[in-house]
Amino acid sequence: MSIVRLIARDELRLMARNRVAVIAVVLLVLLTLVAVASSWAHQNGIAELRGRHAHAAESAFKAQPDRHPHRVVHYGTFVFRPLGPLAAFDPGVDAFTGNSMFLEGHRQNTANFGDARQSSLLVRFGQLTPAFVLQVVAPLLLIFLGYGALARETERGTLRLLMLQGTSRGQVVRGKLLALGAVAMLAGLPAMIGLVGIAGQPGALALPMLAIALGYAGYLALWAVLILLVSTLVRRSRDALLALVALWAVAVILLPRVAPDAANAAVPLSNRLQTEVAVARDLRTMGDSHNPDDPHFAQFKQAALDRYGVATVEDLPVNYKGLLAIEGERLSASLYDRYADASYAAQARQNGLVDWVGLLSPTIALRSLSMAAAGTDFAGHRRFLEQAEAYRFALVQRLNRLQMEDVSYADDGATDAGADRRKRIAAHNWQAMPDFRFSPPSGSTLVGKALPGLVILLGWMAGALASLAFASRRLGARR
Amino acid sequence: MILFRHECRLLLRQRLTVGALALLALLTMAALAGGMAEVARQRAAIAAIPAAHAEDIGAIADYVDRTKDAGSAAYYSFHPTWDAPAPLAFAALGMRDISPYILRVRALGLEAQIYDGETFNPELALPGRFDFAFVLVFLAPLFVIALFHDLVSGEREAGRQRMLEALPNGGRALLRRRMALRLLLLWGLLCLPFMIAAASAGVAVSAVLIVVAIVAAYLLFWAALAALVGRLRWSSVANAATLAAAWLVLVLIVPTLANVAINASIPVHQGAEIAMAQREAVNAAWDVPREATMRRFYADHPEWADSAPLGPRFHYKWYLAFHQNGDARVADKVHAYRAGLEARDATGRSLGWVLPSVGVQALLTQLAGSDLAAQLAYQDRIRAFHARLRAFYYGYLFRDRPFAKADFDRAPRFKDVPRG
Repeated sequence: MSIVRLIARDELRLMARNRVAVIAVVLLVLLTLVAVASSWAHQNGIAELRGRHAHAAESAFKAQPDRHPHRVVHYGTFVFRPLGPLAAFDPGVDAFTGNSMFLEGHRQNTANFGDARQSSLLVRFGQLTPAFVLQVVAPLLLIFLGYGALARETERGTLRLLMLQGTSRGQVVRGKLLALGAVAMLAGLPAMIGLVGIAGQPGALALPMLAIALGYAGYLALWAVLILLVSTLVRRSRDALLALVALWAVAVILLPRVAPDAANAAVPLSNRLQTEVAVARDLRTMGDSHNPDDPHFAQFKQAALDRYGVATVEDLPVNYKGLLAIEGERLSASLYDRYADASYAAQARQNGLVDWVGLLSPTIALRSLSMAAAGTDFAGHRRFLEQAEAYRFALVQRLNRLQMEDVSYADDGATDAGADRRKRIAAHNWQAMPDFRFSPPSGSTLVGKALPGLVILLGWMAGALASLAFASRRLGARR
Repeated sequence: MILFRHECRLLLRQRLTVGALALLALLTMAALAGGMAEVARQRAAIAAIPAAHAEDIGAIADYVDRTKDAGSAAYYSFHPTWDAPAPLAFAALGMRDISPYILRVRALGLEAQIYDGETFNPELALPGRFDFAFVLVFLAPLFVIALFHDLVSGEREAGRQRMLEALPNGGRALLRRRMALRLLLLWGLLCLPFMIAAASAGVAVSAVLIVVAIVAAYLLFWAALAALVGRLRWSSVANAATLAAAWLVLVLIVPTLANVAINASIPVHQGAEIAMAQREAVNAAWDVPREATMRRFYADHPEWADSAPLGPRFHYKWYLAFHQNGDARVADKVHAYRAGLEARDATGRSLGWVLPSVGVQALLTQLAGSDLAAQLAYQDRIRAFHARLRAFYYGYLFRDRPFAKADFDRAPRFKDVPRG
């Protein structure tokens, strides 16, 4: 057996003899299992609930009686964001964004009823998911197990004995690294088994799962290297422990909170009130449908009359009100899109700033990698919002077209006793409307988004390994 | 006193300690500055409301004035409400980053409006805010651990234990002095910046006193825990590891486990169900005789029952009436939803009695008016304001009074609530 493996085996034997260490590992494994099970159950519950709600909303829409199409524009519909199977591993921002959205004409509503606003204050302490356990808890456990790996040998003078027996410094460090690396993989194993369990789910994508597995394995391995690095540099095991806990607190707890606050201050977001007032203002300048003398709509009317070669809107072969509704919706939707894009861009800039801090905290890099691969990051939410808006626009314009073609202009303006009946069109029209189907991103898209995080992690790994190689050359030297 | 000063000099000679104390002071000040900047941003957003509102309403008034139709005025006018941050909000931002503090409402169905959210970046909200409450609840215990874990074991490892035990009373006075000094330093570094910030924010003295007492109690808990672990006569390293593990369990693991347990044991009927039921109730009115809608409305609101009967033309009083009927139809669901939220919150808070981290967070957000109760109180104020809005517009619609430009200025205005 090679010396490196001998040292590794010895280190592992020492850990196994340490009852506290064994209990800690067992607790971590239990915690991961609980996290996998509860996250799994939670996501299944959510998927079931959202599926049920979506189905109820679709049937309600189709069960509408004969109606005027514009009534249906205001009746609107509800869409619910479905979650990919990987959300059971890392639900990301799901609890913080609303997951149901009311789609209606003329307005872009917010996604409402996120879990964070429906839970007790405990939700802000963090959510128990496999991702949380591996990102936050597992590194601290590795620290407890590994802080003394080299500092202990230096402190007690056993390092010199080892070297007297012909072991090189490199062999000692590699052996300890092997041992701690094995423990790190053991710590990550239950979560990875959970991840593989998810693979059996329909719709789970292989590439993102691979990215997640690689990311977490790299992250835990990185901590193993960092722990040994500090253990090499510091000569007393107590100092090694304190330094590592401080490092952990800064990288895992502090920076992930400070960076968002800094990004929030650096890139301001426009609030809803200001956006809505601005949209109304722009809409008035583009074309004020309430103003009978508005130049845009006067021109629009003239163009419509010219197109059909008639003199008045009553002579048009189509319902002019429907035509107007289509134009109005086009104008307002284009404005909403413009403001939404500006807001999304600002949020993406904020997230970009946070990602830069990933250079200082591997936890931030891993978190964005993990959420991006699971499709539960801001980009994933934005995907839902944009698809929902596209669906809303298409639905409303279909309904407006029905008004234009199937409701006559004379009936539409009539107020006599039977007018209400004549304005309505048959219920089968609602059943012909397509349902909202979220089209999930492809695996390569998700991995593409996860790549920057993976690169930062690799950079960390390379830097940490190089430092360890450099530091181990001076291991045990008197300073 | 002189002994105290010597002890202080001894403590400040340790580089690790001085570094830790400086770091804590820096973090406290950064968190306070960040919290105050966020609160200033929120105040500025609230201060910008009147100008935006005036512009919006002005344009609506221009075209409503042509028809003098109170219904159009009611339909198109959004009225702003807001939840101004309490003076102490900078210390504990609580839910203020994910719940709206500005919401515009119309005199239409409220249940379709009151749950609307605000624009915020979910990725930034996910890890939680960096505020004073975070520094206290999450970080301060780590500093206590760093300063307290080797108080006794360090002496033992340095070979001075025997000598200390030979002192009168086993050197306990010395130990007490050391602990008091460390606690005092930590407490001062947390509380002095806080008190300066609180004074500049105009926080009531009583609230400041409560917060500094909370800080003292929380630090004392961790110091006591460290002393307890110290009595096991383990090595400094073992003490530090044990305390850090205790921190992990008490601050991170138990709260997250409890969150899962609470959400599983207290199911909250999703708000989405309210929104869907309300929409059904409102839109069904188009397919039932209008007189039936009015009868139902007048039964609930007899004060308007003497209004003229509906003619064949569309009338906004019917439109607003079925919106209000729709709200009434889901009132039970709304109560159940709110009761569920309150039950979850109450259970989370009661955990604070056994878990200091949760208790401190709950107390601070309560004092800072940034917890769920404050959110619900804001919703209550919106509901009360909305009732006034309805009464205002109904006064025109049900009496068929014209609504002119000047009437826009008579609309009720949301009032800030003064808070201590």
